[in-house]
Amino acid sequence: MTRHATRWSIVSFVGILLCMNTGCTRSIELKPASPYSQSTDTRLLASDERVPLVMDSFHLLRNGAPQNPSTETERRILNRVQETRLFSTLIPLGAQSDSLGDKIVSARITIDETIEPHSWLSAFKGIILGGSMFLLSPFVDFEYDYAAKVGLELERWDGQVKRYEGVSSGTVQYKLFGATPVMIDELKGHVTEACLTELTTQLVRDTTLYMASSAPTSASGVRTVTVRAKRPSTTFPTRSTAPTTTPSLP
Amino acid sequence: MTWVAHIAATVMIYLIMTAPIAQADDGSPTITVGTQEVGMTAGYMFSHRLTELHTTKQHGPAVMPSWMITLTDPIGDSWYRGQISLGAEMVYLEFREPIVTHGIGFTPRIKYTFVALGRLRPYAEFTGGPFWTDLGGRIREQANEFNFILSGGVGVSWFITPQLAFNAGYRFHHISNAGTAFPNLGLNASLPFGGFSFYF
Repeated sequence: MTRHATRWSIVSFVGILLCMNTGCTRSIELKPASPYSQSTDTRLLASDERVPLVMDSFHLLRNGAPQNPSTETERRILNRVQETRLFSTLIPLGAQSDSLGDKIVSARITIDETIEPHSWLSAFKGIILGGSMFLLSPFVDFEYDYAAKVGLELERWDGQVKRYEGVSSGTVQYKLFGATPVMIDELKGHVTEACLTELTTQLVRDTTLYMASSAPTSASGVRTVTVRAKRPSTTFPTRSTAPTTTPSLP
Repeated sequence: MTWVAHIAATVMIYLIMTAPIAQADDGSPTITVGTQEVGMTAGYMFSHRLTELHTTKQHGPAVMPSWMITLTDPIGDSWYRGQISLGAEMVYLEFREPIVTHGIGFTPRIKYTFVALGRLRPYAEFTGGPFWTDLGGRIREQANEFNFILSGGVGVSWFITPQLAFNAGYRFHHISNAGTAFPNLGLNASLPFGGFSFYF
């Protein structure tokens, strides 16, 4: 009797341990498989060849709806661009960008996120799990999909525009007892990293495009013309027919 | 016992006094997939005799510690925008009438929380599971001790911080044995409750 009870106790204990172990698992699957597979071949530019990069705009879309982008995301993108060592300095949105010289590169960033949490399917699975008193937990997977497309548009000082794009997506698969808000952050972090790696890889290929010596400063479209009015010879008042500005006479 | 009540009252007053500061700093709670909730709820049960055959006027206190996990991000774009959580609950009932007896059960619990109102979050919930009580067999409605308990109700959570919420609501309880023994008239009761939840 005692041996029988001991045997069943051990079997039950192992069973519970196995169920708890498999019921708490989670995994992240990325497309492309590894964000670190592509190496970024950075070339060291001479400091006088590097020009400043100024953030011009930053747009974030989530499932097609415009969102307010966070400064953390902007900082993360700028940090990755900084790692390429292509630019002398990076000026974030809203920062003072005066006295940077004529040769600057303007950056426009767009992030298009697509989130598919499979909410209704998760709710249905939840009802099934509740109905089974959680006994099916080790056998039912939940999924959360996240995809991102990061676009970086760089406009050179001479007006030449080049667009770079990094695309990645991922899925986190988890069991009920393995769910945590951190896994969503981890998934988003991995996908964003994959996008940025792809983006900076493309950017580094165009290193020569952003060297200061690659193009001269374009002729400015704003011209200053000074018009000096003649002193009127008569005392009659004159009326100008066009809105002109005349400098004050000495 | 008095000093326990004093401490509880002091803690309550402190939480209420500091609530506006927490709201100004943190705003509405951010509850996402995987957010867990641990709660403690207590209430008092009042019987409903739905037929002439029901004679037992059971009533007494109830205590319900619970755990839940959020399954979905907010669903929908209108007033019904909300999230689904799944969890489990222990329910302890003390029947003071007709004789002092006890009941304990374990029930899965599913909850839909409306999130459109920010820190004030109404919800609807449903629980059901096995329930043991020594009241069974001593009354004419229920023949045996092993029963099932089903409950459905509505409530509202007020988040005083993004992690802490006070809850209040109403549940309708039904206890019966699913036809495993006769008689099986079932015990029905109303249960107004209050409690708190901690989110992490």
